[in-house]
Amino acid sequence: MYNKHMENLTDTIVAISTGSTSGAISIVRMSGKNALDIADKIFFTSKNKKPSAFTPRMLELGKIKTKNFSEQALCVVFFAPNSYTGENLVEFQCHGGLKVANGIVEECIDKGARLATNGEFTKRAFINGKISLASAEGVMDIINAETDAQIRAGYDLLNGDLSKLAYSAQDELTDLLSEIEVSFDYPEEQIEYITKTKTKQRLIELSNKIQSVLETSKTGEIIQNGISILIVGKPNVGKSSLLNSLLARERAIVTDIPGTTRDTIEDSFVINGIKAKIIDTAGIHSTTDMVEKLGVDKAKALINSADIILFVTDSSSTLTEEDNQIFELIKSKEYIKIANKSDISKSLQKEPKTIYISAKTGEGIESLKKEIYSKFASPSLTEGGVIITNARHKQALEESLKNINNAIADIDNQTLDLISIDLKLAYSALGEITGNTTGEDIIDAIFSKFCLGK
Amino acid sequence: MKYDAIVVGGGHAGAEACLALARTGNKTLLVTLTKEGITFLACNPSIGGTAKGHLVCEIDALGGEMGKNADATTLQLRMLNLGKGPAVHSLRAQVDKNAYHRTMQHVLENQENLDIVEDEGAKILTKDGAVCGLVTASGKTFECRAIVLACGVYLNSRTITGEIIKDSGPAGFSNSKNLTQSLIELGFDIRRFKTGTPPRLDGDSIDYSKFEVQKGDKNIQTFSFLTKRAKPNIKVCYLGYTTAKTKQIILDNLDKAPMYSGVIKGLGPRYCPSIETKIVRFSDKERHQVFLEPETLDNNQIYVQGMSTSMPKDIQQQMIESIVGLEKSKFVKYGYAIEYDCINPLNLYPTLETKLVKGLYCAGQINGTSGYEEAGAQGLLAGINASLQLRGKEQIILSRDSSYIGVLVDDLTTKGTNEPYRMMTSRAEYRLLLRQDNADQRLTQIGRDVGLVDDERYAKFCKKMKNIQKLKSKLSKTIPPSKQLDEYLASAHETPAPRGLTIDNLCKRAGTDLYQANKVLHLFSGYSKAEIVEVGIESKYEGYLSRQNQLIERTKKLEEKRIPKDFDFTSIKGLRLEAAEKLNQIKPLSVGAASRISGVNPADITILLMHL
Repeated sequence: MYNKHMENLTDTIVAISTGSTSGAISIVRMSGKNALDIADKIFFTSKNKKPSAFTPRMLELGKIKTKNFSEQALCVVFFAPNSYTGENLVEFQCHGGLKVANGIVEECIDKGARLATNGEFTKRAFINGKISLASAEGVMDIINAETDAQIRAGYDLLNGDLSKLAYSAQDELTDLLSEIEVSFDYPEEQIEYITKTKTKQRLIELSNKIQSVLETSKTGEIIQNGISILIVGKPNVGKSSLLNSLLARERAIVTDIPGTTRDTIEDSFVINGIKAKIIDTAGIHSTTDMVEKLGVDKAKALINSADIILFVTDSSSTLTEEDNQIFELIKSKEYIKIANKSDISKSLQKEPKTIYISAKTGEGIESLKKEIYSKFASPSLTEGGVIITNARHKQALEESLKNINNAIADIDNQTLDLISIDLKLAYSALGEITGNTTGEDIIDAIFSKFCLGK
Repeated sequence: MKYDAIVVGGGHAGAEACLALARTGNKTLLVTLTKEGITFLACNPSIGGTAKGHLVCEIDALGGEMGKNADATTLQLRMLNLGKGPAVHSLRAQVDKNAYHRTMQHVLENQENLDIVEDEGAKILTKDGAVCGLVTASGKTFECRAIVLACGVYLNSRTITGEIIKDSGPAGFSNSKNLTQSLIELGFDIRRFKTGTPPRLDGDSIDYSKFEVQKGDKNIQTFSFLTKRAKPNIKVCYLGYTTAKTKQIILDNLDKAPMYSGVIKGLGPRYCPSIETKIVRFSDKERHQVFLEPETLDNNQIYVQGMSTSMPKDIQQQMIESIVGLEKSKFVKYGYAIEYDCINPLNLYPTLETKLVKGLYCAGQINGTSGYEEAGAQGLLAGINASLQLRGKEQIILSRDSSYIGVLVDDLTTKGTNEPYRMMTSRAEYRLLLRQDNADQRLTQIGRDVGLVDDERYAKFCKKMKNIQKLKSKLSKTIPPSKQLDEYLASAHETPAPRGLTIDNLCKRAGTDLYQANKVLHLFSGYSKAEIVEVGIESKYEGYLSRQNQLIERTKKLEEKRIPKDFDFTSIKGLRLEAAEKLNQIKPLSVGAASRISGVNPADITILLMHL
């Protein structure tokens, strides 16, 4: 996978760093061996100072000359290896809007650069050892982030919150191992050797800690991929109206005729920074209409893959056998019971654990959104803790946890030197995140903690 | 005079190197300052201990001498860590230090192909980057094609006792004054390390009744696979403690301690601190252990383990007299610190040949290690590889999963060391596989292939392997239910087996021991204790052993990916400069070794792999 990309490592790359949105300014970034040469050819100051002669990290005012325009702009240079990518790097700050920025990019390409691929600046920063793998992955997540929560998870990773957590778990294992190992290498010292009971107790605490972090991985996935919401219910309970309410626009055709929605409708909206994909299903009921039949089968398949199901009933009439059959299909899944048409059923007695809404008037829609959000918002999501968004990290933590749990399971029947095998495996699994796999610090810990003689 | 190989230094490394070279048919010369110094135990009168016992068993399995010599001169034998798992069982022998030296000297003097001269190696002669001879301090020149430097702590050494600083080797032996300069001229990175030793007392002046007696263990294995029976335990050791007064004396006189007054500049080991260092660093500890160990049957000299010091003589006297039972003790020798030159082991390939001069090998404390066993192990490996090179054969590298020797050499040559390096079981990641009991299974075939394992040892080894195979095939046999079986299980704190169980399942029960079980259940006859114990261990720990093997498999790809000797890492685009420079300095021979170098991160290894 790296080979292809290695061939291109010597290229000078350029791209608009501020993305496709239109702001007051745009930034064009260029990195690589020829970045300064190219800048010299297109950027001119009033004193005829070349960018390659600029003081690094100082903004200079000048003009960018391209085939089609000459624009005032700012330019800043960084010399390798003291730049984000570790290579020579030039940034142009120009007037906002894509037209100017694109023109600059085209001019750079014309002078020998090539357009950067997605995340290539970060890849180079990683290859050149400027940032760790975890940080690089964090930056990639930010680049791809579409919502607030996604950006925050990316920042946490970039700031090394996950590394910190892996480090602290590794520190605990180091400490525990040093306590265990010292008894093998220094069996004759008058020190208090750690007992199995104490070891077990500390391992259980550690296991719980990692477990709780792993639980956030679900939140992490949600941040990456969003949640998928499925609307089900018998025909004409107002599923499509609900969809339109949630999207806050007319997406589905709403009629009074049951079975109007014959296929599924998909769209997405954002709840408190979480991307939510919402799917409206065909009304589920036995039917002979072939077109509608196809829609019903699809709905049943969708039930299995949805993160949450909105089960809609009509509160203006009593529940039917059909409602019960649908409920049987979804009851083992994560669901929210919704009684629609509250605007025309005020007199009826309310059922417990049911949210009463009126898709038509918008009544109850906000509390429904809150309910959906609370189903997925773990404390880490709401309070800014560590969220695992990356499969590699999840795997490392799971591997570490598995070995710690093996140790806990075996400790009563096995000697501590065997238990230490599991703990060293747990330790090196965390090294996938922290980069520390040698175990030299265990020996350092032994000598710093214990007074040893011979 | 012309030799195939010259070994400089007759300590534990030098002796093994000489024997490995001479026994494989190379005309070998040992240059030693004095024959009195041949395998002289300059510090503690014991061989083995945690991880060190493993090294001695491995030296023996490869066909070295240390195990046999220790077995022949044992005064007391103990197995440390009994009751913990089999991997950390560690054999330690108190030996007669005079007999240990005499026995080894006798072996060397009677070794075919080996000459010994008393002189000082002074200058290494090279031609076209390869060794071609050695000049001694007395002006003689010897031609040779390989040199093993095993100079111990003798290079420009000085001993320090309080304000008295002597230009001397250990225990009053003269030192080596010229060789460091020769090494500097050849481009070696020279460093200064420090170690120390405690006082020796006259045993007749000690009140032993104030100490706790420490006896040896009976019926335990020996270091050498060839030794038929362990020597009886004829001596005991004693355990006592420093007192509050000892602590006060040391704290009151810290200004006189060379360790703290700035006199000593060399880097000392953390695991073998002087008593003054222990008191300063662990000030909350009220007392420290003191072991009294007999040095030799020739006299009553006692080694006071735990009291290593370089304090002035009068302070040493006060310190010792503050220990209960030693109030009236007479000093035979005072403790001292010793500083010496050594090379940076990153100058070495994992064959122990230097990267700077072809045919030049270094072994033992000159490589920055500490300990007789660590030295012996390196001397043996250096001797084997010098011999292989002389005979035009491919040199060997012992892997981390093969032996503690492999771990030791890999650590030294990939990580280097900033203090005298001591072997520890914690350093071996495949510890469960690297047991004392299976050292022969791991290494004797290698010893045979390089020509060091003689027919007697090899025949014994082959028979043992065959018997182990036979025993393993019997593990699936079912032991029928019986009163004896349930009684045995009860004695092992295990539940009864009303329907019987297989031998394998018996082994796997936590409290059982195949050797003990066989004694009462008569499962098989005609097998040695070592064979039965071995099969029992392999069965009991099968799950853990296979986990370690899986781990080895996982890293194997990296270990097997070779890097050419003259590879220029700075030529790799994308490799960080820091990593490239480190790699160029260390010149790892495999990607596995490269991955263990500090400052080389996984991303660097990924990039390296792309280019190989």
